[in-house]
This record gives sequence, C-alpha cells and structure tokens, in this order.
Amino acid sequence: MIEQAGFREAKVVEKFDPFLGTNKEKTARKYGVDGVNFLAYKR
Amino acid sequence: MALACPMNFDKDKLRSEVWLTYTQVAEDPAGDYHFHRGAEYAAKHLGYDLAALKALPLAATEVFCGMGNPFRMGALENGATVIDIGSGGGMDCLLAAKQVGPNGTVIGIDMTDGMLERSRGAARAAGLANVRFEKADMTRLPLADDSVNVVISNGVINLAPDKEAVFAELFRVVKPGGRLQFADIIMKSDLSEDARNNIDLWTG
Repeated sequence: MIEQAGFREAKVVEKFDPFLGTNKEKTARKYGVDGVNFLAYKR
Repeated sequence: MALACPMNFDKDKLRSEVWLTYTQVAEDPAGDYHFHRGAEYAAKHLGYDLAALKALPLAATEVFCGMGNPFRMGALENGATVIDIGSGGGMDCLLAAKQVGPNGTVIGIDMTDGMLERSRGAARAAGLANVRFEKADMTRLPLADDSVNVVISNGVINLAPDKEAVFAELFRVVKPGGRLQFADIIMKSDLSEDARNNIDLWTG
C-alpha cells in the first residue's frame, strides 16, 4: 500500500508487542497484531 | 493494517469513536484504557530515553499512547521540517523539535481539541518556538506539496478508515528524498469481513 502511493524501499525495521499487559492482549494475539517501526522513502 | 473499510462501514462513527477515546485520554490520562500510556511505559517497552522524557512537561508525556518509537530509526537532521501525524499530547513533537534545532520546524497534526490544548501548552512550557500544532484530518493536511523532510507518527495511521488516502496525502507533502519514519500496528493476515466491520476492533 505504501509503495502504491509512490514511496520506495518500504520496510519494517523493528517489531513490538504494544498490547502486552493490556486488556486487549488476547484480542491482539487472536488477530495477529504486531507493533512495528516502519521506514520508507520518496525518491 | 486493513487497506480500507468495507463498503457499508460507518466511517463517521469510527472517527467520532476515535475522537471520543483520545478526548477522554486528554482529560483523564490515568483512566482505564486498553493501551499503555506515559513516560515510564515509553522508556521500559519502547526504548525512549527516560531522562529525556522526564525533562519534558508532564502534560505531554502523561498522555503518550504510542505503539513504537520513530526515533529508533535514526535521528532527525538539523534544520529538517518534520510532521507528526496524530501528535496527541506532543511528546514526540517536543523530542523532534529538540533534534531539528532552531532552524528546523516540527508540525503536529491532530483532530482532538483536548490533545491540541495539551500539546500547545507543553510546547510553551518547554520553551520550544520551532514546533506548532494544527487541527486537521490526516487525509487533508494543511501543507504545501513537497514541503516536508520527515513524517513521524506513532500508532495513529491504523485508525484511519482509508489508509490509501493517508499515504497518498503523505506522498504529496514529502519532499523528494524525504521519508516516512513511523510506528504503528500491522495485521499478520487479512481480517474477516465481520472483524473489519467491528468498530471496537478499529478503536481498540
């Protein structure tokens, strides 16, 4: 989606578990949610 | 991160639910929410420098609800123009303003009046004149084409019902050679239509 907008070299740099210890932790696991740091460039 | 809402999805309801949630956080940061908040969480789980956060006004840090750490992907260049999509209480903007220095500019974008009031007050309290905050929708930014070096954001773009429109708008405002440097959530697989129509999952 990000590259469709025109950005290039889009990549996930790092992952987090932002819902760990919250009341949405089970829901996040059920739906396969990851927190990510993301980088992309406009060339 | 779903591409877009289902055809019959109530986008206005989603927008109002998001507005309500973050208005509540702005008014009562110690309330019961489904996400972490604050400087201690940011330092312990996301790798922020606790000393740097402690040096910022509490008005900005106590309502921080980010999901990652955009600054771990590289420092912002001195003199850069930076925008923060969904700037909340302004914590990331204040950190960015210190990085880009007095010749740089940081613009926080948010749609929640309570958060804008907090972030503007925090910037004044911090004595940072190179940061400002604008009320706007992330698909209609009050910025010229090719005017931004770096876009940061932290756990906000996932709340947009039309992410293609968001990224198209970001592409419009970023300068050639500029970049997106943001944290958010992604889905490992596509959601069912029922799940995509569940507004509680979008806001929670």
